[in-house]
Amino acid sequence: MTTREQDDSLDLLQGTLDLLILQTLAFERAHGHAIAKSIEHRSEEVLQVGHGSLYPALQRLMKHGLIAAEDGISENNRKARFYRLTAKGRKKLYHETSRWQRFSDAIARILTPPGSGRRVTTVLAKGACHDLVEKM
Amino acid sequence: MTWWKRCSDRLEDEIQTHIYFETQENIEAGMSPEEARHAAMRKFGNVLVAKDQSRDVWGWVWLERLLQDMRYALRGFRKNPGFTAVALLSLMLGIGTSIALFSVVYGVLIAPYPYAKPNEIWAPAVVGPNDQVGFWHQYPLREMVEMQKLPAFADVMATIPKSVVMTGGTNPEGFYGVYLTGNAFNFIGVKPLIGRTIQPFDIPLGGEPNPVVVLTYQFWQRYFSGDPHALGKKITLNDVPYAIIGVMPPRFGWWTNEAFWLPLPLNLADDTSVNVIMRLRPGITKQVAEQQLQQLNVRLAAERPQEFPKGQLRTVLLNYMDITQASGEMKSSLHLLFAAVGLLLLIACVNVANLQLARTTTRAREIAMRLAIGAGRGRLVRQLLTESVMLSVLGGVMGVLFAIAATRTITILIPPDYVPNEARITINGYVLLFSLAVSMLTGILFGLAPALRSSRPDLVETLKDGGNGATGSSRAQAMRNWLVVAEISLSVVLLAGASLAIRNFTRLLNADLGFQPERVLRMGVTLSPKQYTTFEQRNLFDQNLLASVMVIPGVEAAALGNGGMPYSGWESSYAIDGRKPLSDDRKIVASLISEKYPQTMGIPLKRGREFTETEIENVSHVALINESAAKLWPAGVDPVGGHLRLDALEKPLKPPVLMHAGDNSDLMIVGVIGDTKNGGVGDATRPAIYLPYTMIAPPDRQIIVRTTGAPLAMVNAAREKVRELDKGVPLTRPVMLDEVLGQETQQPRFNMALFSSFAALGLTLAAIGIYSVISYTVTQRVHEIGVRMALGAKRGDILKLVLLMVAKVAGLGLMIGLCGSILLERVVRFEIFAKTPFDFASLVAVVLTLSAVALLAAWMPASKAGNLDPVTALRHEA
Repeated sequence: MTTREQDDSLDLLQGTLDLLILQTLAFERAHGHAIAKSIEHRSEEVLQVGHGSLYPALQRLMKHGLIAAEDGISENNRKARFYRLTAKGRKKLYHETSRWQRFSDAIARILTPPGSGRRVTTVLAKGACHDLVEKM
Repeated sequence: MTWWKRCSDRLEDEIQTHIYFETQENIEAGMSPEEARHAAMRKFGNVLVAKDQSRDVWGWVWLERLLQDMRYALRGFRKNPGFTAVALLSLMLGIGTSIALFSVVYGVLIAPYPYAKPNEIWAPAVVGPNDQVGFWHQYPLREMVEMQKLPAFADVMATIPKSVVMTGGTNPEGFYGVYLTGNAFNFIGVKPLIGRTIQPFDIPLGGEPNPVVVLTYQFWQRYFSGDPHALGKKITLNDVPYAIIGVMPPRFGWWTNEAFWLPLPLNLADDTSVNVIMRLRPGITKQVAEQQLQQLNVRLAAERPQEFPKGQLRTVLLNYMDITQASGEMKSSLHLLFAAVGLLLLIACVNVANLQLARTTTRAREIAMRLAIGAGRGRLVRQLLTESVMLSVLGGVMGVLFAIAATRTITILIPPDYVPNEARITINGYVLLFSLAVSMLTGILFGLAPALRSSRPDLVETLKDGGNGATGSSRAQAMRNWLVVAEISLSVVLLAGASLAIRNFTRLLNADLGFQPERVLRMGVTLSPKQYTTFEQRNLFDQNLLASVMVIPGVEAAALGNGGMPYSGWESSYAIDGRKPLSDDRKIVASLISEKYPQTMGIPLKRGREFTETEIENVSHVALINESAAKLWPAGVDPVGGHLRLDALEKPLKPPVLMHAGDNSDLMIVGVIGDTKNGGVGDATRPAIYLPYTMIAPPDRQIIVRTTGAPLAMVNAAREKVRELDKGVPLTRPVMLDEVLGQETQQPRFNMALFSSFAALGLTLAAIGIYSVISYTVTQRVHEIGVRMALGAKRGDILKLVLLMVAKVAGLGLMIGLCGSILLERVVRFEIFAKTPFDFASLVAVVLTLSAVALLAAWMPASKAGNLDPVTALRHEA
């Protein structure tokens, strides 16, 4: 029971969350809780609906073959499920990061000059952002 | 599901681990264990949602949604039992009857033969310069052998029925045994029930074939009670013991279904003509084969000109299916029946389409509501699709079940002789698929219409409409009206066509035969050509037999001869008073009769006189003709006393038929008798001439006896008389003329029953459809009626309004339907049923019935609405 607009914001969040997960796994494998903690440090907002929203995202990334799961033992000696980046996921991460980079550079440039064009450019940026996230 | 379970369990574990880690951290941070756990849970959020969304990702969600949609659809069906019942009934009847009737007709009339690739069997025909169509040409065996050598033909076989006497029982019995070439059974490609069939090695070239016989199922049952040990036993046929080598299955009846098949001696010196059929070599076209056969025919015609038409001849290959099956009037009836199947299916489809549309309109608000509260369009389409598919599949399954039941019932109801010997009635796969596909597609398409329309929805408008979709969307209303119009007009055409066909069959059944078949018994006698070698011997036996049969008590009249009992005879060209007819191909049917023939058959004498006993005895050259033949004389000239030259008398007939030596072909007409249906009940009377039977002496004769009492009681007395004259002569095939005619009228009767049931079903379907749609439409307008009544409309006004609306739609439908029927009647009348009178009564009946249904359908809900309290009506939400 969601309206179109709510869908959009979820999409946006999802896209961001996916990217954050990939980034978290970029250097080492991690279990769900560790990923959640790592993301929490970096962005309060994305996990605002709770750590639970991490799990559908993990399933989705697994389904797309960007990450893989394996059983392992955690640092405090408990059996846990560890996730790691696949080759495909690494490529995706690189690609998306550079896109984000270029995008945020562009945003920064647009937002800097003061004057009359400001309102229009904001709207433009929003649209571009939307496009980008949808493509992920 | 184990995979599903495993994944679920793992996810559960993982989540629990996550919460455990969080709890541990919280404890380390100084919280009490209970507090720590609560905080962890809080942080995690809704566990169920997390699990649910994860599962969504796994992709099984479609199944759950499908089940949900199906549950929803079922609930919808239950909530609208009327809609569901009518839609299912329409689908069931439409699909079911189409499949069943087509299957029966296909099995009985279109492809009744179990032969291997029957459409690849061809028969040779020769066409003269003035002929329109060719007749199946017969060849002597040696010419068949030459034909086998033609490169175009893969296989050529021959069949010839001959009368065979079986001895060894209490009485000798006569049969038509069917002689076949050695390759015949392999050519036909039907396996024997037990034993083996006649094979090429049974028939040495020029020598005597092995004395072997293959039995029909019926013969086997009758004489051996179906005992498999009959194989190897011997039966004596024409004084030769034949060993039984096989029995064919019950429905196999190549030229006989009551006797047996024998090997045809491959005697190339034999002049007897055989019936030849062939299969073409793969890749050879009919044209090439015809060309090769044409060359052969031209050569043969030069050798034996009397066997071929005079002048330039043309060779045609006829498909064996076309020769043996439904042709002429029957074929036209079949085409009508197919049209009827199509119309019936169409009516069923329109019914379903209409119902779906009507229902959609009611649901427009529901759909708008769902869209408004955020249902995805795809999801909505999927749900409507599920509903339509479920309805269609359910209807389709019911239809197939109905078809199976109906086919079984019809098969059981068909008396054994109604259909060709070999007919196999099974559900026809192609029709099954076609009917199912058409009706299901209709259901699905029209079921989806609302979802497709909702892609450009005006939600606000629809919702504002206050649940009264019907008045709101005038486009849907118009569409529905057109469907009602279509439905009514289709029904009119179907019913008019059915009544036309039924009337035609009635005409066939009630045709004036020109003779009285009641209490007339027909029997055959067969003299052995080896024993009765002379013309005089045969005629003497016949005379004595006739004399002794006539004195049997209970015999009113008796006659003897060949042909005209009641059908057949020789076709011969002729000349009247020395003048040949304009066309060389004009033929007259000649029959051999004794003097009491007209009296025994009950044919009235129209002019002149009948034969005298002396004329028969003295072989006088006198003749009777029927009224059709009398018309061959120039107007105003009395045929009585005129002369006719019968060419058949000039040609020496082949043995064993004997003719008076030095016969001349001039006959004096002494009388004219009434026309009879001498070509079959459904056919036009052919000009006929009757000669004293003593003129030609074949070994076979037929006796007809008109009795005062039960005809079959006469059989034993007659058999006794035959035995008194000659113990070795069999009396064969006693049959009542009623029965002979019955066989002829059975098929029309069967067809009529088919058409009648079709018409009845069509009417039912149309009535159901028209009623449901109209009453549905009117019910939709209850709200509007409430408004009108609140504004002061009286009950009468409401009724008038509704009835007028329905009358307009129904009237248009009836008009279009009538135009269609008249068009159909025109086409059909000129091409097929030229003799069928135009019958307004049945058309009027059809129109009245459909109008009554339409008006009743409008009146019932309208009068109910008229009685309603306006406030209730206003509140009515369909």
